[in-house]
Amino acid sequence: MLHSSKAARKPNKKNLNEWMWGWFFIAPTMIGLLILNIIPIFQTLYLSLFQSGDFGRGDIFVGFDNYIRMFNDPQVWHAVRNTLVYTLLVIPISIAISLVIAVLLNEKIRGRTIYRTIFFLPMVAAPAAVTMVWRWMYNNQFGFFNYLLRSVGLESVDWINSPNVALISIAIIGIWSIIGYNVVLMLAGLQEIPKDYYEASMIDGASSIYQLFKITIPLLSPTLFFITVTTIIQSMQVFDFIYMMVDVTSPAYNSTVSLVYLFYNNSFRYSNRGYGSAIVMLLLVIIMIITVFQMKAQKKWVNYK
Amino acid sequence: MNKTFLKFGVVIFVSLFFIVACGNENDEGGEETGEYAVNGEVTLDFAIWDSNQEPGLRQIADAFEEENDGIRINITVNGWADYWTMLEAGATGESLPDVFWMHSNEIHRYASNDMLMVLNDQVDASDQIDMANYPEGLVEIYTLDDHYYTIPKDYDTIGLWYNKTMFDEAGVDYPDESWTWDDLYDAAVALTKDDGEQYGILTPLHSQEGYYNFVYQNGGTIITDDKVSGYDDPNTIEALEFYINFVREGLSPQIFGDAERATVLENGLAAMGFFGSWNLAGFSENEYMAEHFDVAVLPASNDGGRASIFNGLGNAIAYNTDHPEEAWRWVEYLGSEEGQRMQAELGIAISAYEGTADAWVDSNDLFDIEVFIDMVEYGQIRPYSNTTGVWEDRAYEELNGAFTGDKTVEEAANDAARVMNESLERED
Repeated sequence: MLHSSKAARKPNKKNLNEWMWGWFFIAPTMIGLLILNIIPIFQTLYLSLFQSGDFGRGDIFVGFDNYIRMFNDPQVWHAVRNTLVYTLLVIPISIAISLVIAVLLNEKIRGRTIYRTIFFLPMVAAPAAVTMVWRWMYNNQFGFFNYLLRSVGLESVDWINSPNVALISIAIIGIWSIIGYNVVLMLAGLQEIPKDYYEASMIDGASSIYQLFKITIPLLSPTLFFITVTTIIQSMQVFDFIYMMVDVTSPAYNSTVSLVYLFYNNSFRYSNRGYGSAIVMLLLVIIMIITVFQMKAQKKWVNYK
Repeated sequence: MNKTFLKFGVVIFVSLFFIVACGNENDEGGEETGEYAVNGEVTLDFAIWDSNQEPGLRQIADAFEEENDGIRINITVNGWADYWTMLEAGATGESLPDVFWMHSNEIHRYASNDMLMVLNDQVDASDQIDMANYPEGLVEIYTLDDHYYTIPKDYDTIGLWYNKTMFDEAGVDYPDESWTWDDLYDAAVALTKDDGEQYGILTPLHSQEGYYNFVYQNGGTIITDDKVSGYDDPNTIEALEFYINFVREGLSPQIFGDAERATVLENGLAAMGFFGSWNLAGFSENEYMAEHFDVAVLPASNDGGRASIFNGLGNAIAYNTDHPEEAWRWVEYLGSEEGQRMQAELGIAISAYEGTADAWVDSNDLFDIEVFIDMVEYGQIRPYSNTTGVWEDRAYEELNGAFTGDKTVEEAANDAARVMNESLERED
């Protein structure tokens, strides 16, 4: 860091002073990141090369055995597929819905603070508690949704245990809970867009749909990009909704289990930390690849003013 | 320049120190509240997994605290799955509770890794504990290489719970010890209503309170003596076919979740169900259950084969407890005739101590719970090995396809045998 082009010249006292304060201000974040994220990543990598003994004792070095077993384990590939499908369901739908809501809430309508609060509420509630309520609504015999379906004369749906439906049920919870977060960020982005553009385009006779696609979305693209990157990472790590909804005994287990859930089961339920660590390293690699692609692709669609 | 770097270093050092200091403070705080609450008094952490038993055990703890000045019992309850996660973390991080329940699924792993205190010396010295006073099978589960790792707490068997009101309405005689599988099937047909509002029976995907009983009644097995899966045994498959057929024919709802099973009976959705004796407290508190239900022995197979899965818990002490003497006094009290009689009289569970089970039977006049004691005679110890929890889950994953109809029972059973054997091979 000391060898940046500027620092090639002898740094004067002012520069040094600035560096010092710079480091000082980022020190809490840096130290936190180092202790809570970076060191554990390497520890996990290290652990994934061992066969775990009971209670953290007597680990045996096995090289890449955990990885070989992982690549031959159909359940891991189910989990990769489920995680990706979940992300593909949640991200586009949640962003589309949040965009509409954010644009509407940006207008001067009566009681918009109340609406904003309502949309943000799911974000504040604890996921585990929220899922319990959803689980009740999805219940096959006594649930709210099946009651509705039956009362209009339709067949009831096994929301939780049907392998074809369960992942969609879980994605619905995921979408519902993430909208508030997206809306708040988008509202902040919308405030940044100068009103002049809208006035000018109105004079030229642009419809509001045209304005949405030609002004709002392009100018909101940095915010949208940020939301996409963070929520994809968040969705790839989905655990609590699935953990609370789908038991290992459920027939929907193989079609809903996510990588983190599989990691949890192997590490803590079956106390095989080595194998669990290998699974979580796979997740890390997948997330990294997706994020690199996004960083590359952003040049094509993100407008920084 | 050096001076600036020095300053910089000091700043980093101070911030590090601050973080470390914060951490220390927390540690000290934890110790203060956890270990020595009031001057010199010892608090024992006692961990259990059944919230239904907590109020009763609290009463026993109160009686113990009265007799033993200076010892307090702090009971913590975690649900079954969380309990083992907590205990595993505690064992790894050397922060086990002082005293905790042990189960046949996990005893081997904890005992063979020396996580539990060996209690032989204490038992020999005690005038209240004699292992001969407890059922032999139960003592055997928790004894490895002649070392006692727990003092038996209770035992349990599985019974057939039935809805008297629904039986009366359908004109079917109540189940009794003369019942065979055929009677069970006929009753399930007679009690099932076509509109889907009432099922005759509940046969969920559940091992101990479900198909294990049928497997052993039919002469099958889940795990052989040389630790090989018994799921592909023809008798096992036959029993599974009979059991799962209830679901396939629409006589039982499809239930997979552990917690949902009881709600099916409690909401009047099914007329019969298999539940263990430890559900007594929960079922007695449920008004619907108390009013409509009773319990009978499990039916025999058509050849007259009888079995009910028998299991039991023990109280164990952490190997590294700070208060070994006090912890032993508590475990001794729980296992003594006095503590065991109290547990039985309070209806907490069937006490393991010889002669105290009758007190448990007398503790409840809602249900005919004597049947649970009657079944001990042909009780079958819950199948287990060193990694029971792992292969039970793997077998469940394969078996659920038979309940939904995605696989035949035979395919599912063979798949279960395969994954279970794979898992057993990784054992040790």
